[in-house]
Amino acid sequence: MRILVSWLRELVTLPVGAGSPVNIDELAGLLTMRGFEVGAVEPWPAGPANPTSQAGPAGGNEPPDAVLDLEITTNRPDCLSVLGIAREVGTVYGTDLRMPELWSDDDDDQRDPIAVTIDDADVDLCPRYAGALVDVEVGPSPRWLAARLEAADVRPINNVVDVTNYVMLELGHPMHAFDLDRLAGPEIRVRRARAGETIRTLDGVQRQLESEMLVIADAERAQAVAGVMGGADSEVSSTTRTIVLEAAYFNPIAVRRTGKRIGLATDASYRFERGADVEAPVRAIARARQLLATIGAGQPRGPVVDRYPTPPAPIVVRLRHHRIGHLLGQTIDAAFVAPTLTRLGFDPQLEPATDPPVWRVTVPTFRVDVSREEDLIEEVARHHGYDTLPTTYPAPTEPARPSGPWRARDHLVRQLLTGCGFSEAITYGFIEREPALAIHANAEDIVTLRNPLSEKGAVLRPSLLPGLVDSLIHNRRRERQDIRLFEVGSRFCHRDGETPALALAMTGDAVACHWSGPERKTDLFDLTGVLVRLCEGFGGVATFEPGTAGHLVPGRTACVRLRVADATTVLGTVGQLDPGFAHARGLTGSDAVYVAELDLRLLTTGAFDHLRATPVPRYPSITRDLSIEIDDVLPAVRVRDTIRAAAGPALVSIKEFDRYVGAGIAEGAVSLSIRLTFRAPDRTLTDTEVQSVTDDVVRALARNHQAKLR
Amino acid sequence: MPPPTDIDAIRTAFQADLEEVVSDQNLQTVRDRYLGRKQGALAALMQSMAGAPPADRPALGKAANALKRTIEQALANRRKTLQASARPAGGVDVTLPGRETPFGRRHPLTLIREQVESIFGAMGFEILQGPQVEDDYHNFEALNMPPDHPARDMQDTFYLDRPMPGAGGTPSTHPATLLRTHTSGMQIRYMETHQPPVRIIAPGVVYRRDTPDLTHSPMFVQVEGLLVDEGITMADLKGTLITFLQAFFDADIRVMFRPSFFPYTEPSAEVFISCVFCDGTGCPVCKKTGWLEILGCGMVHPAVFEAVGYDPERYTGWAFGLGIDRVALLKHRVDDIRLFYDNDLRLLEQFPH
Repeated sequence: MRILVSWLRELVTLPVGAGSPVNIDELAGLLTMRGFEVGAVEPWPAGPANPTSQAGPAGGNEPPDAVLDLEITTNRPDCLSVLGIAREVGTVYGTDLRMPELWSDDDDDQRDPIAVTIDDADVDLCPRYAGALVDVEVGPSPRWLAARLEAADVRPINNVVDVTNYVMLELGHPMHAFDLDRLAGPEIRVRRARAGETIRTLDGVQRQLESEMLVIADAERAQAVAGVMGGADSEVSSTTRTIVLEAAYFNPIAVRRTGKRIGLATDASYRFERGADVEAPVRAIARARQLLATIGAGQPRGPVVDRYPTPPAPIVVRLRHHRIGHLLGQTIDAAFVAPTLTRLGFDPQLEPATDPPVWRVTVPTFRVDVSREEDLIEEVARHHGYDTLPTTYPAPTEPARPSGPWRARDHLVRQLLTGCGFSEAITYGFIEREPALAIHANAEDIVTLRNPLSEKGAVLRPSLLPGLVDSLIHNRRRERQDIRLFEVGSRFCHRDGETPALALAMTGDAVACHWSGPERKTDLFDLTGVLVRLCEGFGGVATFEPGTAGHLVPGRTACVRLRVADATTVLGTVGQLDPGFAHARGLTGSDAVYVAELDLRLLTTGAFDHLRATPVPRYPSITRDLSIEIDDVLPAVRVRDTIRAAAGPALVSIKEFDRYVGAGIAEGAVSLSIRLTFRAPDRTLTDTEVQSVTDDVVRALARNHQAKLR
Repeated sequence: MPPPTDIDAIRTAFQADLEEVVSDQNLQTVRDRYLGRKQGALAALMQSMAGAPPADRPALGKAANALKRTIEQALANRRKTLQASARPAGGVDVTLPGRETPFGRRHPLTLIREQVESIFGAMGFEILQGPQVEDDYHNFEALNMPPDHPARDMQDTFYLDRPMPGAGGTPSTHPATLLRTHTSGMQIRYMETHQPPVRIIAPGVVYRRDTPDLTHSPMFVQVEGLLVDEGITMADLKGTLITFLQAFFDADIRVMFRPSFFPYTEPSAEVFISCVFCDGTGCPVCKKTGWLEILGCGMVHPAVFEAVGYDPERYTGWAFGLGIDRVALLKHRVDDIRLFYDNDLRLLEQFPH
């Protein structure tokens, strides 16, 4: 809202100190500190004086003018006007308001010059409608009036339209003018649009109306979309001889819905949907008629026709003085409270025999934001100044409740993975549909946005990987070769809703280039090793089984399982990203990308809560190395299973320390070297015992896997 | 010094000599002195035994042999010790780069969030997380924003094309239809299931349908704070937030509270800190005002208490919402919010582990 300071000065006295005008920057600061942020103070050339002003010249010579660019919060439609701001300024400085001059109707003529009807069923959409006639001579506005509109960023059109806009800016109430000759007779009907009815609005667009929209019609058809925009057919033009001035109160929700439905937002709809003043219409018409007459643009004809079937009862709110201190933390002098509210337009009446005092405060109809005691306390606090409140610290009355387990979990995940060289990424919750489908094939299960910003954010991610891979590629395209990223976040699908997940992605060298030896490219086992460490960090054991996933390379994909205590769960998948997927996302080059995605619900930090330490081994261990030749497609985990089952409790670890294919090994076979470690908790094992167990292992391997000892 | 000639004296002298041995060379000297075939002390002892009475000779011989074995054993042990502690020959270029174990970084927004959590955690606040896909009731209606409320325009919302299973809570009948536009829904979710006193913060990502630019991202991170008890005042709100902001930024910053409007607080305030770029003297970042807007807050609106069944006569409280991205931009002088979501390692790796 742009307010011209000279206009403001017409409606309220600004203090003049020592012959100089009030410092505009100071005024801007005071308004800002009362909730009306002045984004800018623009110096403005002083326009021609308003000859109708009652304020008189300010201190002898006209001060340089300025425009205050104010941000008005949605709860204060009353301040979308010079009058509203003047009222605040008057409260700041303790000066009186000057209401602008209004037209007085000639009491002799009481016949309605036009017929106005509001359909009974639609009174809730239009509780009040006022109309009046003015015989006009359409032409340009006087310079002073046009200049004021321009200062407020409103384009001058002609004297009639300009006056309606002037009144809207001055008093805050939107108005409209119809060309009487272009209506089907002297009649205004406020009704809902008929089925199939259309209107060409002032902006020249033909619009389809719907039956829940309120229109202002003549006897035949809609001439305006109520509270939003007038119709082109009855637009005021240079040939207009008589106008119907409209000032009404329209239901805020109805205006908002209609505006959204037809895609129109106007200065009028902006005010109506926030809440206009139901008591303002007649005053607005009187002001417009006064201005038209003063500038020689027209002569009012007949009285104002005011349809206002059920004026609402005034809102009265009790304000208890002690409650002000109770909420603010500081007592505010009662001698400040009542005068402040009065200047703001409230009517506080002290309830008899109340100590501390209680007021019954009548709320003015323009303050649509005030309906409770707290609203009045805010008024008092605003004008007293938030900076005058003390600062105290609220003592806890109960011990703090511990945070949920998610927090320790996410913290540990971050700790473990940063320790493994992975940096944390945060990517958007919405992604493109195509990569979502590549990972989550069930299209029905994917959550789609109704109003995405673009196709790049069409669906909620069913997986963290598309975003994470995009981040990896972003780095890859900026000369970064070795990349390890992870993300902790929510993923979404219709079946499971929103669930927490962890994704990892890595590419480039696993062992970096160094003077002491060769670098080594990342492979799958670098990533599975990280997952082992992650699971260990949560007190569990990670195991891997051959698996499949649409976005991963077959044969290089594993299902990740987590064993904690005796429970095994499927945690997620790990594997080499399908180069086709990576390429489609923009990855160039041939380096393999390895990714994993895990269900974070299954990782819990509780595993250590019941930890009971086992004694540190007191007896030495004995190791035995075996080299066996087995089928090269036999998973190592099967060999381990067999060894573990055959060896019994003395076996404490299995380590595959060599894997060899080539000369001396049969086609389709592989030599696997395994180190077995044995130990007993209560004695030193003998060679004989260990040999006997090792023999059992060898026999079991031969039996189960046709393994040959080498 | 000539070697002594009687057994006890030889033993004592050997022990003393052995103490002095620090090298293989020393060791050989001592060996020669005691075990040398010609000049060795034991050889001399053996020779001197020829002059002893015949009856004493067997005993003397036995003792001499025992001493010889003791000396041999002691010398052998010392040799092992010397070998084990021998220093390697040659040096290395200690200025060559070491082998680094790679380590990653937490995201800067995580770092900031954890700092905020730790300051409020120390003030006794419970830290919560809530659903990103919300229902209209928790995101708007229970926060005093009924359908068609103009304040909804302040937060342009992403909607789902059909409802998703909700996050539960009460009332659970509301289908999840939108991406939350703020973390304030957690106020409702928590108060629905807990009685006062309430001291919570709820960090999390939120979404607004804003076209990305330097200061806007359609997804960003927010922290909600809520404190409810008997006798909580706006002065408490000021005290707590000033404590937090000075702990987070700098003990010297100044804090300003200014009236504002949020449908779910009354009175409402916007909080500003003295500009961290120019120390409040005025610069382009603070648009020459000397102040930076940092968060929104206010006293919980009684309609919100009524929605969750708290008695607004008995309880008062305050709430605030802080943009983590915004404070990260200010604290670390990042000039484009979108950088946080690019995950460019050249940015991430500037932040601590």
